Amino acid sequence: MAAMIQIKNVTKEFKVLNRREGLKGSLKDLFSRDYKYIRAVDNISMDIEQGEIIGYLGPNGAGKSTTIKMMTGVLEPTSGEILVDGHIPYQNRTKYAQEIGVVFGQRSQLWWALPLVESFKLLKDIYQVSDADYESMLNLYQSLVDIEPLLHKPVRQMSLGQRTLSDILAAFLHNPKIVFLDEPTIGLDVSMKAKIRTLINALNKEKNTTVILTTHDMGDVDALCKRIVIIDKGKMLYNNDIEHLKGFFGSYRTLKIGIDGNLKQQAESIQKELPDFSVSADEEWVSILVDEEKSKVMEVLNQLQKSYKIRDMQLEEISTEDVIKKIYEEGVS
Amino acid sequence: MKQKRFGFYLRIYMKILAQDLKSKMSYRADFIISTIGMIFTNIAGFVSFWILFRNFPSIHGWSYYEMLFLYGFSLISLTPVQCFLDNNWSLRIYVYSGDFIKYCFRPINLFFYYQSEVFDIKGLGQLAFGIGTLIYSWSKIGLGFTPLMLLKVIVFLLTASLIMMALQNASAGTCFWIQNSFYVMDLVLKFKDYARYPITIFSPVFRFIFTFIMPIAFIAYYPSLVILRPDAVPILSWLSPLVGCLFFWLSYKFWMFGAMKYSGTGS
Amino acid sequence: MRLKKYLTFTRAGMMESLQFRLAAAVMFIGNLLYLIVVYFLWKAIYASAGTDVVNGMTFTDTLIYLVLATALFGFMEMYTVWEMGRNIQSGKIVLDLLKPMEYRRYLFWTFSGTFVTQFLFTFLPTFIIVGIVTHGAIPLGKNLLYFVISVILAVLINYSIDFFVGTICLFTESIWGINIMKQVIVLLLSGATIPIAFFPEQLKTIVYYLPFQSIYNAPLTLLLNKDPKPGTVFIILGTQLIWCIVMTILSKLFWKVSLRQITVNGG
Repeated sequence: MAAMIQIKNVTKEFKVLNRREGLKGSLKDLFSRDYKYIRAVDNISMDIEQGEIIGYLGPNGAGKSTTIKMMTGVLEPTSGEILVDGHIPYQNRTKYAQEIGVVFGQRSQLWWALPLVESFKLLKDIYQVSDADYESMLNLYQSLVDIEPLLHKPVRQMSLGQRTLSDILAAFLHNPKIVFLDEPTIGLDVSMKAKIRTLINALNKEKNTTVILTTHDMGDVDALCKRIVIIDKGKMLYNNDIEHLKGFFGSYRTLKIGIDGNLKQQAESIQKELPDFSVSADEEWVSILVDEEKSKVMEVLNQLQKSYKIRDMQLEEISTEDVIKKIYEEGVS
Repeated sequence: MKQKRFGFYLRIYMKILAQDLKSKMSYRADFIISTIGMIFTNIAGFVSFWILFRNFPSIHGWSYYEMLFLYGFSLISLTPVQCFLDNNWSLRIYVYSGDFIKYCFRPINLFFYYQSEVFDIKGLGQLAFGIGTLIYSWSKIGLGFTPLMLLKVIVFLLTASLIMMALQNASAGTCFWIQNSFYVMDLVLKFKDYARYPITIFSPVFRFIFTFIMPIAFIAYYPSLVILRPDAVPILSWLSPLVGCLFFWLSYKFWMFGAMKYSGTGS
Repeated sequence: MRLKKYLTFTRAGMMESLQFRLAAAVMFIGNLLYLIVVYFLWKAIYASAGTDVVNGMTFTDTLIYLVLATALFGFMEMYTVWEMGRNIQSGKIVLDLLKPMEYRRYLFWTFSGTFVTQFLFTFLPTFIIVGIVTHGAIPLGKNLLYFVISVILAVLINYSIDFFVGTICLFTESIWGINIMKQVIVLLLSGATIPIAFFPEQLKTIVYYLPFQSIYNAPLTLLLNKDPKPGTVFIILGTQLIWCIVMTILSKLFWKVSLRQITVNGG
């Protein structure tokens, strides 16, 4: 059986205005304009199977949104082909919209002034969902999260987390084959992030929905995706299992400790004590890049506590930016 | 099949409308102040009209009451654009901020979906004013009344309203190209005030412009002739329903074309 | 040195508005077209009146008056009420209040950039074109100086009224309603839509006791008066000055009191 989403050699170019600087520049722009072409997406190919959750990663301006827009049919590729469940997305957008659900992190698509349940009812009509399907979907939602208190609250009065949650529920309401989630956890606190991840996972399992997830947050990726695609400057850098990437990276975390004394010297002596890991110092912290395959962060911390007085500590997960930097430096086979 | 599609859209619009009204009622203060504002606008318009005609008893052979008829006619035919297409005023903000994209993912007509979001109930006040003015001037002129005249008025009012809708769609739609379409919309808004004067006051060049290019003469002047001067109705008056439909269709196409072209570029 | 701080805002505002190249062009052409409509309308009105002078104003006088009133409106309307209302609703006002500058002043200087571009793109060309078209009907003499002083006072009065009305937005969400009421009242009672000379006597008397006529009627009367008596000039400018002081104090006071009210109650 053919893959749910097939992307073949897709490229997208934009024409953008070169704005001049300063007041004089603005005046010049008034009379003559200077355009340049930007290749936002450069020759990307991939297949996505039904029921997969794909993590689509990259720094800001990498071309993530452009790819998503092409997959949702809002943009037409400059060249290349996209086929989603037999549809060419941009060709019959209205009809294709029936097959997909979309959530843009900060932009709610719900009716601002209406209670959530009224938005749901309108969506039920717009997507022509049968009463039975609608009821069973609401029951499913109720079993996954406590939506009862949300249902009668106008969207404008919701917190960002509640709104995102509502938007995700709304996107799944007509049981689409594919759901696109653009930065669904951006700006949310830890517990809300966890809640939303659990919800996405459950809906994906229950309905076998294909989920395309763009994010900055490695936490999202860890919790949800088996496979990730990394793109930067329009080019695809990586398209494989997350396990594969982990194997390549080990599982690194950065342990930052605050100790007294000259941090440079302290870092050197810690380095001697921990020959396996790289240790560095800045103005405030001594940072130790811990490979958890070799020893756990807690063990390292315990060991250090014996000989140093640790005032403060921070733990940092490896970020998408670090991953990309590393891929650039060393490449991935 | 066509019929069913229309029914589908009508049902959805009514549902959104009902919900919208419910939520508006919960912001009572806003609702009352806006309504008062709308009444103010209409009273001020009427006072200006009255002050003007205190000084000048007629313009180009059009009497006070005939001018009042035109005024009332234009108020009514400008109501639908106020009620149904008010979201056009926010379009440039959605486009500029990139939020417009959120309208692009529904399996229904984009134009419909976008406009359905706002129903401006204040327009109904204008409608009441317009109807009052029209009936008053009608009786003062002594036009008489037949069911056929009523039918004519309704048909010509409906099609005349399409003209202003078309102008507003087109001017709002320019924001897909020039970002700040406010000036264009404001310009068109200013022009609509001149729709209530007989086109004969203009020189031939502008008569041509207001008939064929920026067809504000079809908002009140041409359709009114059918009632006011039944003995000498120009062919353009009879064509005005057609013109209304044509311009509306063109503006819709323009708006949609812009929306399709735009939806990608914003981030 | 202090002025330089403020001029930075002027410059930024100018740059922002220049970026909308097409908008600027549309603004210019739009105003021109609008003026042409005004011209034909009043020409027809005077032609029907049968006399050359109505209420002490010739056709040329009325035309210059109305055209320049519109042009003045174009550059005086800074949408202060909208801006304040939006900032209050979005909560951005909190950031603005933290700026090391009084909010009333800060807002004025942010707007001043648009003000300069509007003056260059709409008022000045209009003024020149009117001067040429009417073959020097605008007298060029001391009255220009009076006019400039009067316009500056008018701008300040207008801003104070706007700021006063904008303050109301602290208490209600109905920006549209508040704004439209203000606009309608100011435009009608200031003589911007119809010269005050055309008003019936009682209304005229009432209007002269209100601050609004100081915005449009005062500067335009000074401009059109070929040989003003020192007494007249003194009275007009004096009235404006008094209104300017009164409105400034009132708007400052209202803002202060309202702000305290809001901060105490937690808005």
